[in-house]
Amino acid sequence: MVEQLVFYALSGILVFAGSMVVTVRNPIHAALFLVLSFFTTAGIWLLLDAEFLAMTLVLVYVGAVMVLFLFVIMMLDVNLVVLREGFSRYLPVGILIAVLLGLELSMVVGASQFGLDIVPAPAHHGAGYSNIEELGSVLYTVYVYPFEIASVLLLVAIVAAIALSLGEHRKNRKGQRPEEQVAVNRKDRVRLVQMAAERPDSDTP
Amino acid sequence: MIALSDFLILGAIMFCLGVAGIYINRKNLIILMMSLELMLLAVNINFVAFSHYLGDVAGQIFVFFILTVAAAEAAIGLAILVVLFRNRQTINVGELDSLKG
Amino acid sequence: MPEIPLLDLLPSGLQTLTLILLKIIAIVTPLLLCVAYLTYAERRVIGFMQVRMGPNRVGPIGLLQPIADAVKLAFKELIIPAGANRFLFILAPIISLSAALSAWAVVPFGPDRVLADINAGLLYILAMTSMGIYGVIIAGWASNSKYALLGAMRSAAQMVSYEIAMGFALVGVLMAAGSLNLGEIVNAQAGGFGHWFVWPLLPLFVVYFISGVAETNRAPFDVSEGESEIVAGFHVEYSGMSFSVFFMAEYANMILISVLSSTMFLGGWLSPFEGLVSAETLASPLGSLLDSGFHWFVFKVALFLFFYLWFRATFPRYRYDQIMRLGWKVFIPVTLVWIFVIGVAIAAGIGPWFD
Repeated sequence: MVEQLVFYALSGILVFAGSMVVTVRNPIHAALFLVLSFFTTAGIWLLLDAEFLAMTLVLVYVGAVMVLFLFVIMMLDVNLVVLREGFSRYLPVGILIAVLLGLELSMVVGASQFGLDIVPAPAHHGAGYSNIEELGSVLYTVYVYPFEIASVLLLVAIVAAIALSLGEHRKNRKGQRPEEQVAVNRKDRVRLVQMAAERPDSDTP
Repeated sequence: MIALSDFLILGAIMFCLGVAGIYINRKNLIILMMSLELMLLAVNINFVAFSHYLGDVAGQIFVFFILTVAAAEAAIGLAILVVLFRNRQTINVGELDSLKG
Repeated sequence: MPEIPLLDLLPSGLQTLTLILLKIIAIVTPLLLCVAYLTYAERRVIGFMQVRMGPNRVGPIGLLQPIADAVKLAFKELIIPAGANRFLFILAPIISLSAALSAWAVVPFGPDRVLADINAGLLYILAMTSMGIYGVIIAGWASNSKYALLGAMRSAAQMVSYEIAMGFALVGVLMAAGSLNLGEIVNAQAGGFGHWFVWPLLPLFVVYFISGVAETNRAPFDVSEGESEIVAGFHVEYSGMSFSVFFMAEYANMILISVLSSTMFLGGWLSPFEGLVSAETLASPLGSLLDSGFHWFVFKVALFLFFYLWFRATFPRYRYDQIMRLGWKVFIPVTLVWIFVIGVAIAAGIGPWFD
């Protein structure tokens, strides 16, 4: 009963946030609504006993990826008016296609195919169950090669992102070069000048 | 008791919102990427729901890999976006037409 | 379930809810008091280090100063700048504080004395503390001010970078303890001073605490506030209560980092003299102080909080590129290398930690 209530509340927020993401005017607001939808999805996954993935979703998406999105939106000075052009023209088409697709999908996955009488709800695991242990024991044995490939993929992503964002700017980048600073000699910087000490003129009093 | 179909329909609705977002905001590259993330999220909800109801942990492993790939995609996509904006001063998809071939 | 009068009159669902709410109040109220007196301690300690008096007028030796400050802030006008996004402007401090407080749900204060004894405790703390960035970013953006936006960008980049080093340091801890549950991590360090994780994980401990200082945007990593460059960073436009909520979030985060450092590396509530003191001594009234208990936890946390204040009084502010270099080019490689070393140590079963 409580579980159902939580599920419907979270789903309501999720659908609302999702629809705001695609319709709202300001990209910053869209990104923040996307954060909200990730957060509620994490809650829904907790209902499904997937605590590791729920936490990872918050950690990776909310904590890192969406910050990146917000960063990029804030740094780019985009002209919003141009980007909004044709919004009202495409809106009916978008809604039509979404509704059609939604109807088709819900016919496929609806209660007649996956209802409670066909797929009974499993009992929740007790307090002793550790989702992380279960995932880990499979991830490091059966799926160890995909896991390695995923790590290489992430490495490629890091290298690519850095190379892309550094590339153009490398020539006129301002930065500190510690080796040059350390190698500086006193002789290069300071010149001691020998000057005759000024003698008081004998004429003046 | 929540039925599996409830989760699947929720996933379907989120996927449709993602598709609609791509149709509606077809000029703004950033919103397009966000719609992609929404669609991936919808798929992930389905995977986790199936994993729970069928008692098979493989679904969650898949979500783990999808999260990895999607994070990499977002990072590279945003890097490309920044470079694009630096060179063209726009992220309007309609104006990105200099590729000939 | 402990016996609380009148609780039995409620239906069982409400009983659990009331009990949880009471526990939350029992954690948050002392915490906010600690936050208030941490500001007092900070001013006194830094005053002492700089050979001045610090607050000493309100109440005996200035002990009522935090109360006076709170009253002053509560009665100040809450100004919302022109052109600011009203909703987000109000929301930002709330996000900051709730992210700082929610992580306390899994902190163990003693054996079994924890609000939510979940398996993924460490992961939960990482996830919740990463939410704190949003308070800063939203505050910077919603203020409609250049200084605030600059401060928010700086601090967001800094927090995301240091979170990686912090996460890697935690990977070392969970490898050593074999669990993500904070209570089990403490129990894995039982056996006295030499069994604490601070010894095998010394580099990770140093990295974790310094990253924690950077994560909370405290001196010497406080470029996001940088009074001398960008006035006050992301909270330049905030006044009155909304400003003080940011302040409370910052101090609650400081206490949280101290608590986590002492829990994961210094054995939490465990006594350093475990196994060294005989049972008779422990039975005597004075000797019981040497036994494990909440007082050791408080003592360790206070030690780390003192380090925070000491850093602030001692070090000049880092330059922004130096902060980034420290995070990416020093801390992350150090943690990666040390995780490998721990892996080898666990495989070899080096005692007394990994056998």
